[in-house]
This record gives sequence, structure tokens and C-alpha cells, in this order.
Amino acid sequence: MIRLSASQRSGLVGAALLAAVLVAVGVATLYFGSRYQIRLVYSAYVNLIVVLGLQVFMGNARITNLSHSAFMGIGAYAAALCVTPENIKKISLPAAPWGLADFSLDPVLSAAIAIAITAVLAFLLGLFIVRLTSIGATIVTLAVLVIVHAVFLYRTDIFKGNQAFFGIPQVFDLAWVVGIAILAVIVCRLFRESRWGIQLRASADDEVGAAAMGVEIYKLRLIAWVLGAVILAVAGICYAYFLGTISARPFYFNHVFLTLAMLILGGMRTVTGAVLGTFLISFGLEGVRYLETGPVLLGIELPEALGLSGIALGAVIVLTMAFRPTGIMGNREIETLFARKTF
Amino acid sequence: MLVLNDISKQFGGVRAVSNVSFEVPAGQVRGLIGPNGAGKTTLINLISGLLTPSSGTMSLEGDILDGTGAAARTRKGIARTFQNLRIFENLSVGQNIEVAQITARSEGHEDSIAIGEAVERFDLAGKLRMPANALSYGHLRRLEIVRALALNPKVLMLDEPAAGMNEQETEELAEALDWVKTRFGCATLVIDHDLKFIMTLCDRITVLNMGAVIAEGTPREITTNQDVIDAYLGEDHSNAA
Repeated sequence: MIRLSASQRSGLVGAALLAAVLVAVGVATLYFGSRYQIRLVYSAYVNLIVVLGLQVFMGNARITNLSHSAFMGIGAYAAALCVTPENIKKISLPAAPWGLADFSLDPVLSAAIAIAITAVLAFLLGLFIVRLTSIGATIVTLAVLVIVHAVFLYRTDIFKGNQAFFGIPQVFDLAWVVGIAILAVIVCRLFRESRWGIQLRASADDEVGAAAMGVEIYKLRLIAWVLGAVILAVAGICYAYFLGTISARPFYFNHVFLTLAMLILGGMRTVTGAVLGTFLISFGLEGVRYLETGPVLLGIELPEALGLSGIALGAVIVLTMAFRPTGIMGNREIETLFARKTF
Repeated sequence: MLVLNDISKQFGGVRAVSNVSFEVPAGQVRGLIGPNGAGKTTLINLISGLLTPSSGTMSLEGDILDGTGAAARTRKGIARTFQNLRIFENLSVGQNIEVAQITARSEGHEDSIAIGEAVERFDLAGKLRMPANALSYGHLRRLEIVRALALNPKVLMLDEPAAGMNEQETEELAEALDWVKTRFGCATLVIDHDLKFIMTLCDRITVLNMGAVIAEGTPREITTNQDVIDAYLGEDHSNAA
């Protein structure tokens, strides 16, 4: 039987509270939402899984990662290559090498292969990244993002570049992504409160002090890095299995910037922060996008303001870093908001 | 037993530690004193694996430590505190201690009852759920000691544990460390500039000056040693002792 520590039990309570919020938003959208709103909320949940994948490494090791959208893309493309029916691949990828167009697998097996490929790539890269200083690691993750995007873009025989990779079976709906997001929340909370998570957070506070406490810093960073990549791959699979069509562009800078802003606003040190930041920006941006179109508000015709959402995202990052660098939640998880002060 | 044999450390042209040899058996408290820049903290950094000696060897209970890093040495049983506090300030007080307990458990040690007693003894019992950065300076120093004890160490090294404490706090700390000596029975190495504190606490004292050992002996022998008086204590202290 698995014995949970007091921190992990507390983490499960927090995960249950967050799960209740996720279920409530999901159910309300399913029953009362329009097609557009369901799509919007689905997209928010996929981004939530991405932000959670980002939080596992960035929040616990406190090393900025800019390659997360690349790992999401690897998961999405690997699953798409496996799951797309042969007859469609023969049309869309006529020059595919290594027999990639000559087979198709069921969605579960395809997802498992995609996760395994992403995990192996993350592990090999992680062996190098976890030994670097904070700024060095961040620069390398940026390089990884650019390299992966270049491969997606220029190996058109496999990935179709900026053209749509179509024909992916649309096997997921909103209920699926809500369930997977809840699972990701539980995994992230259990990891954060686990012996690995606590020691990794200690090393983020003080590397020398942690080494003096016997913490194997590189090993713990590697575990968090690979776990984060696996969650990112799952997000990519959710994206592909819902839309049925993917291309290289959504896995690049704009998405990196968007999800980074979500994590920074909510607070990268906590899972609650990841959830809060994702919801605030996902739904807040919809309001900003409405303003971009030049609507009439209270009888006043506002001018068109294309690009306002980009400015708003930048402003969120700048203002959060200036006035509350630890994000809205700081070090506090949701369950601590309901706990009585005991000291 | 911790054994240092001819340990030296060279930083460029500066010889910070020069041919230092001594032993600290289990249960003994050894003081390490000397003027600023004498090489005391460098020596602790060498023993804990944060620095690599230029020459010499060291062992713990016959197990050669040379070539092992800081985390590996901790796992072998060498614990330390720092002159400048290295608290995990975004963790709670309890989690700071848990970081060490996780390491101890992974090395096959059961959670010691003595740690619970140490938490009480060092006045941290009611503060375990507090964020560590909410503790007073004196309690942060105590937390570092309890955290090191949670490693179940064979060797405990305390780098200026009484620094910044007032006289009453220092006396309480000396009593608590005396209790640690009896309860944990580990070899202890203490650096401090408070000579009353050192003389009360230690069984033996090693005096360093310019990186080299200039004297070694019981507290009484050290206070009457002319080399130590000249280099560190001064005549006033010698007369007072």
C-alpha cells in the first residue's frame, strides 16, 4: 500500500478542490455552452495541461523553460503520425520516409508511443540541460524550441510544415480533456509534495544548502524535466485528437509566450497558480479579443485595435514581474486559503 | 571517527589550509578557532566536499572520502551548518527538516525519536508549519542545527552557530549542544569566535593561524599556550582565563 506523507495528503485535498472547479466549469460549458464556447473551453483546458507541464519543472526547479511548446508539438505530431489512417497519409504525406505512411495504429497505442518518444527525447536533452546554470539552461531551451520548429517547418515530407496535417481521428471531446486535466493536476500536486518535489524546491531556494542536505539536484531536476515533457506530450495529443488538424505554427513563440504569461500571472511555484493563471488569461483574452474588433460600448464606437491581445499579454508579464514577482498565489496552494492559522 | 591527514588547499598563490591533520572520534566535540582568515571555514568546506583539497586525504570510519562530492559525503554521514545561513526560505520549518529526513531515510535510517526531542529542545516544536522565512534569526540558526541532526550524522560541523546571538541565547545554545553530544553521540566540529562558548562546549580545541595548526589540546591547555596567546587570544584573555 502506498503511504502518503502529510504534505501529499494535503496536496490531494488541494487537487480535489481544483478538480471540483475544473469539473464545474466543464459541466457548465457542456450543458449551457455554444459550440464556440465549448471549443474555447477545450482550448483553455489544453493550455492548462501545458501550463501544468511547465510548472512541474519551472515551478519546482525554478529554471525558466521556453521549449515547452516544442514538446507539446512533438507529442501532437508523433501521435498524429501513428493514428492517422493510411489512406489519408498516402495522400497528405506521399513522400513520407521510413514507411511512416504505411501504417496506422489505434488512438491509445498512438498516444502511448507519442508519450514514449517525447519522454526519451526529453531525457536525452535533460541529461545536458539539468547540469547548466539557470540562465544557461533557459538559453538552451530556447534553442530547442527553434530547432524543433525548424524541423517541423522544413521536413514537410513528415510534418507538412505550415500546411495542415489533416485526417487525425477526432476521438476527444470536452469531457476527455477535463478528465485528463484533473489527472494532470493530481500528478503535479503529488509530485510537488513528494520527497522529490520537496527536495527539488529546497535546491531552488539554495543549491549549496541542498547539496549539504544530501539532495541529488541533477537527478531531481531530470525527473521533473521528463515528467513535465510527458505532461506536455499529453497536451499535444489532446490538441491533435480534438481538432483533427495540426500545423507547426501553434507550437512556437506565440504559444510559448501565452502559456508563460499564464504561469507567471497565477504564480509558478504552485499548481493552484497554474490553474488560476490559465483561467484568468484564457477567459480574459476573449474580452480583449472582443475589444480588438472595435465594438460599440455604451454608445461609444471604439476603434479597431488589432494586436491588443499581444500588448495585453506583455503587460500582464511586465506588471506581474514588477508588482508581484511570485504571481497571484505566491507560495500558497488552494487548501491553505481555507486552513486556519496554526501559529 | 573523522580523520584528516595532511590536508592542504591552495587558491592560486594563497595557501588557505596548510598540512592540517587531526582526528575527531565519535562523541567528541572539537573546537576550531583562530583569527579571521585562518582557514577554519575553508577547512569545513573541504571536509563537507564543497571544496576539493589540493593535497592530503580524509576518511570517515575508515571510508576514504577523497573524490566524493558534497551530497555524497552528506549521505555518508557528514552534516554541517553554514556561517551565512542557508535556509530553504520558501519551505516551512517542518519541510526544511524533512529535506534532511528524506536523505536519511534513503540511506536506510528510520526517523529518529531523537529528532523529535531536538525539535523540542531547540524551541521549534510550535513553529513547524510556519514559513521558514518567518523565523527570528536565532531560531533560523537553531533550525539549521536541527536540520543537520535530522541527517542522522556521524560528524556534525557547526560554522559559527552562536553568531548574532545574545549572551542568554548563546548559553541556551551551549546547553542544547551539550545535550546533542550526549543524545546523538556524533563527532562534532565547532567554529566560533565566542571563546567562552567554545571553552565551555569543547573537549579539545585546534587552533589555526594562516591556514596551519599552531596548537591542539584541551581548553585549559589552549588558554595557556603562548603561541595561541600571541596569534589569537591576546594577554588579556589569557589572564582572565
